[in-house]
Amino acid sequence: MKSSHRRIVLGWLLLIAVLPQAANGDALDDLRTGGELIWGADQEGGGPYVYPDPADPSKLLGFEVELADLLAAELGVRARFFQADWVTLPEFLENKSIHVVLNGYEWTPGRAERMTATRPYYIYELQLLARQDETRFSSMEDLCHPPQGVRYKVSVLGGSAPDSYLREHCQSSIELYEYDGNVNAMQQVVSGLHDATLQDLPIAVFYRNLPQGRGLKFVGEPVGRGYYVMYVRKGELRLAEALDDAIERLLADGRLKELYERYGLWNATQEGLAEAAVEAATSSSARGWEAVERYGPTLVKAAALTVLISVAAMPLAMVLGLFVALGREYGPSLVRPFLTVYVEVLRGTPVMLQLYVLYFLLPKMLGVGLSPIFAAIAGLAINYSAYEAEIYRAGLQAIPRGQMEAALALGMSRNTALRRVIIPQAVRIVIPPVTNDFIALFKDTSICSVIAVVELTKQYNMLANNTTAVLEVACMTALLYLAMSYPLSVFSRRMERRLAGEGMPVAA
Amino acid sequence: MIIVENVHKSFGSLSVLRGASLEVERGETAVIIGASGGGKSTLLRCINALETFDAGSVRVSDLAISPGHNGASHELHQRLRQRVGMVFQQFNLFPHLSVLENVMCGPQYALGRAKEQAAVEARMLLDRVGLADKIDKRPATLSGGQQQRVAIARALANEPEVILFDEPTSALDPRMTTEVLAVMADLSTSGQTMLVVSHAMSFVRRSAHRVHVMADGQVIESGSPDQIFKSPRDPRTRELLAEART
Repeated sequence: MKSSHRRIVLGWLLLIAVLPQAANGDALDDLRTGGELIWGADQEGGGPYVYPDPADPSKLLGFEVELADLLAAELGVRARFFQADWVTLPEFLENKSIHVVLNGYEWTPGRAERMTATRPYYIYELQLLARQDETRFSSMEDLCHPPQGVRYKVSVLGGSAPDSYLREHCQSSIELYEYDGNVNAMQQVVSGLHDATLQDLPIAVFYRNLPQGRGLKFVGEPVGRGYYVMYVRKGELRLAEALDDAIERLLADGRLKELYERYGLWNATQEGLAEAAVEAATSSSARGWEAVERYGPTLVKAAALTVLISVAAMPLAMVLGLFVALGREYGPSLVRPFLTVYVEVLRGTPVMLQLYVLYFLLPKMLGVGLSPIFAAIAGLAINYSAYEAEIYRAGLQAIPRGQMEAALALGMSRNTALRRVIIPQAVRIVIPPVTNDFIALFKDTSICSVIAVVELTKQYNMLANNTTAVLEVACMTALLYLAMSYPLSVFSRRMERRLAGEGMPVAA
Repeated sequence: MIIVENVHKSFGSLSVLRGASLEVERGETAVIIGASGGGKSTLLRCINALETFDAGSVRVSDLAISPGHNGASHELHQRLRQRVGMVFQQFNLFPHLSVLENVMCGPQYALGRAKEQAAVEARMLLDRVGLADKIDKRPATLSGGQQQRVAIARALANEPEVILFDEPTSALDPRMTTEVLAVMADLSTSGQTMLVVSHAMSFVRRSAHRVHVMADGQVIESGSPDQIFKSPRDPRTRELLAEART
């Protein structure tokens, strides 16, 4: 749950650790000595790049798997796959866990400045996909220029080439939803929640005949041509050249064409590969204060979303949790087992899975969908209600029995006694632990990136992947999180002190 | 006013009440004495239905409680408790409310009186128990004796027909005991019906109209303080009084 935060810290720690050594050691010598070309990719990204064999998940399939084997053979070594989250691959490159990033990484100026790019190994285009019965638009042009009062909902993989293409060309005229995976983005169109998805052509081709892509059609001609390149560490020119030469040989003798044809990826566009060359990196990335100015507003906006989600989810969780706790402590014996199951299921399964069910599966079963932000609020509220319920239960149990007896002895009904005597005391007792949970919830909002909510951590990941100013972005992100959670810690400590002054018992 | 007849009660295999019977007249101050573990507190708690009992009967004026417990008894118990006040050994004041709010609680939340009226009456009662200057304090800031006096005012606020006192001074040191007993003596003089479980023999001598001696889950003898102190009939009573004197 906390891994994404660790990733932020890890990101800039690694960067700091790596900076002074970048010049030492040569990757080409290193991999020849080791006899292995270690290439980084994310099999979660799926086909046709790198994906587990459905028949035997321990085996990998994909055109990049075969390409890595071919390249390694050209270098006279074996290829070894290294699994990592797609967005963090540059970090693993920089800390020398891998020699090369080979995973549908587009050439972008930001990345080319941070790492050294090889020559292109594939020329990708972007394909618009919509439901079979879609008639409102028949090209990218139509999508971006809708009739008055219409805004199409378009889903993409967050931080990908389609994402930046749409931001650049028609952000103001569509609603853009950023997902963690290609398949999720496609599924939301199939289910009718969104209107279209823009995908890298290889992905569109691959899923065309698979269940995940069934019900979708290609809309219009491909757009937005760009290059997939490999990245090596900044300045590792010998390795980059060796890989360039290898690609050239594979191109010249037709082995690359043969490989792409088998995956249905070869098209007329690829004829341009032989001449294709990427520009040298131009210094376009901002550093220092300039970076703060450029990326700050985006991060602050993402932080605002984080605040919105937590501030909406926590009160819901507290109210829901209170009812669950009261039901378990004082409710009729018939409902108690159900509430126990409620608490145990929610505490015993990952919140990410719960969000998936709420956002992706429930709409399929019920036919009605929630917007990502509502789903995030509802999902976190339900998940945290289980934890709050347990805290309240401890709080209720901490109230001496004599309190209930005294209230009953005055002639109050059981409900009045709960409302006027027991709950007010329990609420005071649980304020400190509940505040702690609030802080935890703040940080857990990062999990919502799986359902297309671009909150602070997701925004950080997307920015950091495309800029050299990782350190600046990471520092800003950390400061924003701190600025959000510190006031809560102060509040919690104050409440604790105030309660101690009132002579109230304090729950552990 | 109160008629307890042949009440039996056990907690699991432990039999606490074995046919206890007693009567309390209107306006009377009755005291139950007896060795600890004799069932005194349990008997008291059966009278305001904080405990159920297994057999026998309890009547408080026109309300009769039957053994056991069923769904319909909730409302009956609530009505009963609105007419029977209780003061606990551990005070059981509500720590999140001020002294005044504690005393207003019964009229406001149980009897449904208006807040303003409840506040006026609560001030008068707190004045009566000598705590008019503490109304805005939290219970935790008061001494034990003061807390118990607040608890008495809280019980009085419902204008109960009878108040049950469950060892009201056992948790207090001697000086505080004196101030609480003074308030109780004042109540007794004013004609408040009271049923008191207590070890405080000075109170028994001075204020009690009738004394009930409990042992082994039964009331073994009842009489005026003079009768009980001067000519106890049961050897267990003599033993108890001998212990109290030392």
